Amino acid sequence: MTDITVYDVIPERVAAPTPTRPRLLVIGTMLASAAVAMGMAGLLGIYLETRADVMAEGQRWLPDGVNIPLTQPNMMAMTLLLSVFAMVWAVGSIKADDRPNTYIALGLALMFGIAYISQTAYLLTIMEMPIRGDVLERPPLLYALIGTHLVVMIAAMLYAAAMGIRTLGGEYNSKDVEGLYGAASFWTVAVVLYLAVWYAIYITK
Amino acid sequence: MAMTDTRSEAAAPVDDGAAPVADSAAITDVFGNGDHKAIGRLWIVSAALFLLGGLVANVVAGFEQSNLDGFEITKDGDQLVQLWSLGRDLVMFGGIVPLLVGIAIYVTPLQIGASALAFSRGAATAFWIWLVATGILVLAYIMNGGPRGGRTDYVVLWALALAVMIGAIVWALICVATTILGARTAGMSLDKAPVSTWSFFTFAIVGILALPIVMGELLLAYLDVRYGYLPTDASRDTLLSVLDSVSIAPAIYWIGIPVLGIAVEAISVHTGKSVRFHRSVMAALGILAVYSFAGDFLSFAGRGRPISFDNGAYVVLILLSAIPVLSVLGLAGESLKTGSVKVRTPLVAGMAGGVLLLAATGASVLTAVAPIVGFLNTNFDANINLDSAWNLAGTSFHEGIRGLVIAAGVLGAIAGVNHWGHKIWGRSVEDRLGLLATLAAVGGGLVWGIPLIINGFLSPDTFIATGGVIEDGVEVLNLVSAIGTALLAGAAALLLLQVLGAAGGRGSSVEPWTGNTLEWATTSPPPIGNFATAPFVSSATPLDDEGFDLGLVRTGTSAPVASEADASDADDSGAEAAAEPAEVTAGGDA
Repeated sequence: MTDITVYDVIPERVAAPTPTRPRLLVIGTMLASAAVAMGMAGLLGIYLETRADVMAEGQRWLPDGVNIPLTQPNMMAMTLLLSVFAMVWAVGSIKADDRPNTYIALGLALMFGIAYISQTAYLLTIMEMPIRGDVLERPPLLYALIGTHLVVMIAAMLYAAAMGIRTLGGEYNSKDVEGLYGAASFWTVAVVLYLAVWYAIYITK
Repeated sequence: MAMTDTRSEAAAPVDDGAAPVADSAAITDVFGNGDHKAIGRLWIVSAALFLLGGLVANVVAGFEQSNLDGFEITKDGDQLVQLWSLGRDLVMFGGIVPLLVGIAIYVTPLQIGASALAFSRGAATAFWIWLVATGILVLAYIMNGGPRGGRTDYVVLWALALAVMIGAIVWALICVATTILGARTAGMSLDKAPVSTWSFFTFAIVGILALPIVMGELLLAYLDVRYGYLPTDASRDTLLSVLDSVSIAPAIYWIGIPVLGIAVEAISVHTGKSVRFHRSVMAALGILAVYSFAGDFLSFAGRGRPISFDNGAYVVLILLSAIPVLSVLGLAGESLKTGSVKVRTPLVAGMAGGVLLLAATGASVLTAVAPIVGFLNTNFDANINLDSAWNLAGTSFHEGIRGLVIAAGVLGAIAGVNHWGHKIWGRSVEDRLGLLATLAAVGGGLVWGIPLIINGFLSPDTFIATGGVIEDGVEVLNLVSAIGTALLAGAAALLLLQVLGAAGGRGSSVEPWTGNTLEWATTSPPPIGNFATAPFVSSATPLDDEGFDLGLVRTGTSAPVASEADASDADDSGAEAAAEPAEVTAGGDA
């Protein structure tokens, strides 16, 4: 005969589970992302308004001699889109407790980020847009937008790097992906903001 | 512990019956403690100081523009505008907003049963950054910076300092909003949160969304000045409009949201009758938040141009903005009718703040008259002849509205500090001083605001537009307005006295009143971790619920007492419990 032992479904000696820690980091990241997005949206609004005003007067928006090539901006868009996949890969890997893949994915995303910064620096060099002067087009506007986005991207990279180090320290695993999820969310927002800058500045010129 | 962590790292203090104020004076509280209560106190004290400084600058500018014989502190119109601008920046982002942020940082974790503020190190960092940036802002003005400033280096320093101040405030608001969204105790859905917590939440959300836009404008101002696009003093007038998107009605009603929340809280406690229409009040506050954010958006959209109300959405917002304010006051006022009213500072100041806000929202409806008449004339051939005086865009009318709202903000701060004063410092703040401050703030707000509102009809220009030269006939009203600002500065001085008195250990250690929300379930000031056990709530007034028990034992000189109505019924069991030492542990994350 089979010996059947009946167990309590929840033995009395087992303590009640600890309440799950709320995902404060993710909530805070979302709020910070909203603040960053509003700041960038404000600058973008001023840029588009000023450009429309200048063009309504029959003027050319970009000063003579200034040319914005499309190759670099398009490559930057592709690079950043790929970096989003890398961040998704990092989150997916840590959810599976696959640490090596998490580190590889984070490293890749950071590399894409560095590539973006490098390409932006190169683009600004070849654009030869004067920042000082009395041209109608207010080049500081363009630099404010591109510079702000660079800062946002660097913040996203630092955030991802910090969460990567924490993961290396064992803080995050399949049961707690909060930090990496937060970093990936902020990264994605930064990329979406770039797409807005890309369309407003580089494509529609 | 990193800034993204939330736990308070210090262990809970052992209650040895010592005066709780001693704990707040510890150097670790000032420099290294991640406890939200220490951070909140720092914000409150510093902001009260800057508020006074800002109002004094506005008083001097006000007397200057009254063309008083023998009263000439500034050398020319540019300096006058700089002084006025310094006052505006300090009152708004050095005083009122940080004061409300400080109260929110202190009170909201307690009200929602949280053991700590989310990212408390971040909130502490935000405080220090804000403090340093505010100092730099004042320095920039002293060195001939700011709008109309003559030294380019200090004009750009002004732009950077103001942007950093605002950024630090946004950072602190993110901490508050995250706490409310993610650290509420078990059973407390957002609609069961206290009204003041909800008001701080909506205040934070509007700030998080609206203030970064101003930061963007300041960044642009920095670049424009730095790289020669605003080369002359006159061209730098555009810098004065940078704050317009948050300081002109209806966007400025943003400040009124926590004022109303504090008023509702005070009404509940000081009438002994909870506000019955809890969710309706919350809905009205939410609508006011939406209005103010929409106003901010529309002001921003019209930036760089004369403020125009020939805009349907703007007119609708202006017309409707009094309704949520009236709704909150009306719904909460029901408690005044049915409860047992005790005339104390928090109640009087809170209600007065709400009424001033109502006056501001009501008066601003006048700005919609001209566009409505224009609309009727254009579309329906109404042929209504309206005097050009009704074109209030760009006049000092808006300064008057701002005065009323600023006074409402000061009254909200007075109400909050007096209401939770004992909870914050473990010592009661002086109530008579509070009533005096309230009186001064109400008088100051009305005397500041109403003359400028009238001036808006009398003169099409502000003194800023004319570089300090005022048309004949409005100086008297300007003088009256300056006296009102002085009264409000007096109220701020009294508030600062109250704050310093309580922080310095003066005042009674016996808790003067108690309420039915969670902050009243712990000691004053609460220990690090706030609660012995994470409370479970099932209603918006948990302390009124049958069977609610935190397991907290109240001890020491700061033991909360029952409300005055209940004090005579205190039984022996309560006394026995109070005699036992508290066993309080640092709470985990809620």
